[in-house]
Amino acid sequence: MPKTPAIDHDAIRDLAKLLDETGLTEIEVQRNGTLIRVARNLPPPTARTQPVQGPGVAETITAPVAVPIEPTEHPGLVASPMVGTAYVGPTPGARPFVEVGSQVKTGETLIIIEAMKTMNQIPAPRSGTVIQILVEDGQPVEYGEPLMIIE
Amino acid sequence: MFDKILIANRGEIALRVLRACKELGIPTVAVHSTADADAMHVRLADESVCIGPPAAKDSYLNIPALLAACEITGADAVHPGYGFLAENARFAEILAEHNVQFIGPRPEHIRLMGDKIAAKRAAIELGMPTVAGSAGAVGSDAEAERVARDVGYPVMLKAAAGGGGRGMKVVRSASDLASALAMARAEAAAAFGDDTLYLEKYLERPRHIEIQVLGDGKGRAIHLGERDCSLQRRHQKVWEEGPSPALNAAARDQICETVAGAMRDIQYLGAGTVEFLYEDGRFSFIEMNTRIQVEHPVTEMITDIDLVAEQIRVAAGNDLALRQYDVKFHGHAIECRINAENPVSFRASPGKIVHYHPPGGLGVRIDSAVYHGYAIPPFYDSLVGKLIVHGKTRGECLMRLNRALDEFVVDGIETTLPLFRALAREADIIDGDYHIHWLEEFLARGAMEQ
Repeated sequence: MPKTPAIDHDAIRDLAKLLDETGLTEIEVQRNGTLIRVARNLPPPTARTQPVQGPGVAETITAPVAVPIEPTEHPGLVASPMVGTAYVGPTPGARPFVEVGSQVKTGETLIIIEAMKTMNQIPAPRSGTVIQILVEDGQPVEYGEPLMIIE
Repeated sequence: MFDKILIANRGEIALRVLRACKELGIPTVAVHSTADADAMHVRLADESVCIGPPAAKDSYLNIPALLAACEITGADAVHPGYGFLAENARFAEILAEHNVQFIGPRPEHIRLMGDKIAAKRAAIELGMPTVAGSAGAVGSDAEAERVARDVGYPVMLKAAAGGGGRGMKVVRSASDLASALAMARAEAAAAFGDDTLYLEKYLERPRHIEIQVLGDGKGRAIHLGERDCSLQRRHQKVWEEGPSPALNAAARDQICETVAGAMRDIQYLGAGTVEFLYEDGRFSFIEMNTRIQVEHPVTEMITDIDLVAEQIRVAAGNDLALRQYDVKFHGHAIECRINAENPVSFRASPGKIVHYHPPGGLGVRIDSAVYHGYAIPPFYDSLVGKLIVHGKTRGECLMRLNRALDEFVVDGIETTLPLFRALAREADIIDGDYHIHWLEEFLARGAMEQ
C-alpha cells in the first residue's frame, strides 16, 4: 500500500534558508522520487520604467499569488480610440455586447462610443476572453482611457 | 453668460484664456493630447479631457473629438485661442449646429477674411486703403503682365488660399514674370490645393502695422490702437510694440477710425486685427485676422483692457460695454516672442527645462505655460513664452526690457533670448527705425554669430 511520504520539514527549512541567503526566488530539488519546490514573491525590483509587454513575457510569469496589474499596463488592454460617451449595449436597457467571461472574436463589437451624435462601434482588436470591463454604461471616456481587458 | 467654457488649444494661449475665464467666474475645460497630459493648462483647468494622440490633426484639430469633449463635460462655449481651429469657419458652424457657442466672429466673416482675394475686395468696399494690384485673381499671363506694368515692378505674386507668409513670390522685372507665374501656380496648387494667384505692387521697406478691433456683432465696434510688428523672420513676428514708433497722432487716428468704421459696417463680432503695410505715409491692407492674436498683450498693457474677457462677453451676446472714449492709451509696451530655438540657426530645440527663472518687477508680464522641469514636446510650435514689458515712455520700456531680458533664465534648452538681448541694444531698434526686412538683413549680416 503506497504511503504518502511524510513532509520533510527540515529539507524545506534548509531550502528556504538557502533561498534567503542566495536571494533566489525559486529552488526545486528532486530526490528519491520526491520533488520539493520552494518559491517566494519578491517585491518588484525598483520602479519599473518599461511596462511589461508582449505575450512572450506575460506567459513566463507563474507567480503563485496574482499581482494586481494596472489596466493600462495589461497587454490585453483595449483603450478608447476616441473621446465620447461609452455605451455597453446597442440600445438603452438592451443586453450588453459583452460581459466578463464572454468569448470575443477579432472585429466583434465590444462597446459603442458616441461622439457628435454618431454611434461608433468599437471592434475587438483580438480574439479572446473578456476578463475585465472598466467602464459603465453612459460613462464619458477620454482618448486612451481603458475600456476592457481581453485575454 | 456661459456656464462652462472649453478651451480648444494648448500652451500659453490656453492658459491666457483660462485666466480670463477664472476672473469671470466661468468654469473651464482643458483639452489635451497624450503629449500634453502634464501641461499647465491641464493642471489649472477645472476639468480636462484627453482628446487624442500627439499629432495635432488627431487631437487639437479633431473636430469630432472636441465636440464630444463639449458633450461629455457640458461645455456650452468653445474658445479656440489662435492657430489650430481659430479661423475655421466650418468648426464655428458645426459648434453652432450643436448649440455650442464659438467664441469668435460669425462664420461668414471668418470665411470672407480667410479668402485673400475676397478679403481685399471687401477692404476696398469698406473704404480701407489697399495696395495697388489685380482687382481679383489674375487669369492669364497676359493679364498679369498688364497689371504688373500698370502698378510697376517689383510686384508680388500671392496664392489666394495662402497666408502666414506662405505662397508668395517677388518678381523684379517683366522678363521674370512668366516663369514666376508658372512656379507660383505649381507651388500654390501643391501647398493649398488651389492655384489661384493675385498680383500686387511689392513694397520695398514697409512697416507692418495692425489695428486691434472689438465688435459686438450688433453694429458697435471700437479700435484699440495699433501694434507695430515689423520685426519678422520668415514672415513670423518676433518683436511687437505699441504704439508704433513710426506713426504720428493724425495718421494713427485716421487709420484707426477707418478700420473701426469698417467693422461697424459689417457688424463684426469679437476681437480681430486688420493688418497693413505702411510705407511713405501710406497704408495698404494685407489681411484681417478674425481671432485673438499672439501679440494681443501689447494692446492690453497700453489700454488696461482684457481682450479675452471682452471676447467672451460679446460672444455671450452682451453689448460692447466699452465706448471709443473709454479706450485710453498710456505708455509703451514691447513683446518678445521667446522660442525654443537656437538663436543663430533658429533650429528648434525641444527638450526639458532644467532651470526656469522668469523676470519680475513693475511693468513686466510673462505669458507662458512652461515651468521648472517641463519638457517642451516636439509636436507643436516652439514658443516658450512671451515677455511683455510696459513703460511710461518707449525709452523707459526699452530700459526695462533690457533689465528683464538679463534676469530671464531658461536652462536645458536653447532659446532666442540672446537674440532679444542683442536687438534691445541695436541703434536702429532703439531709434524705432526698422521695417519688415530689417531683421532678416540683420541676421544675414551675421550679427548674431559674433
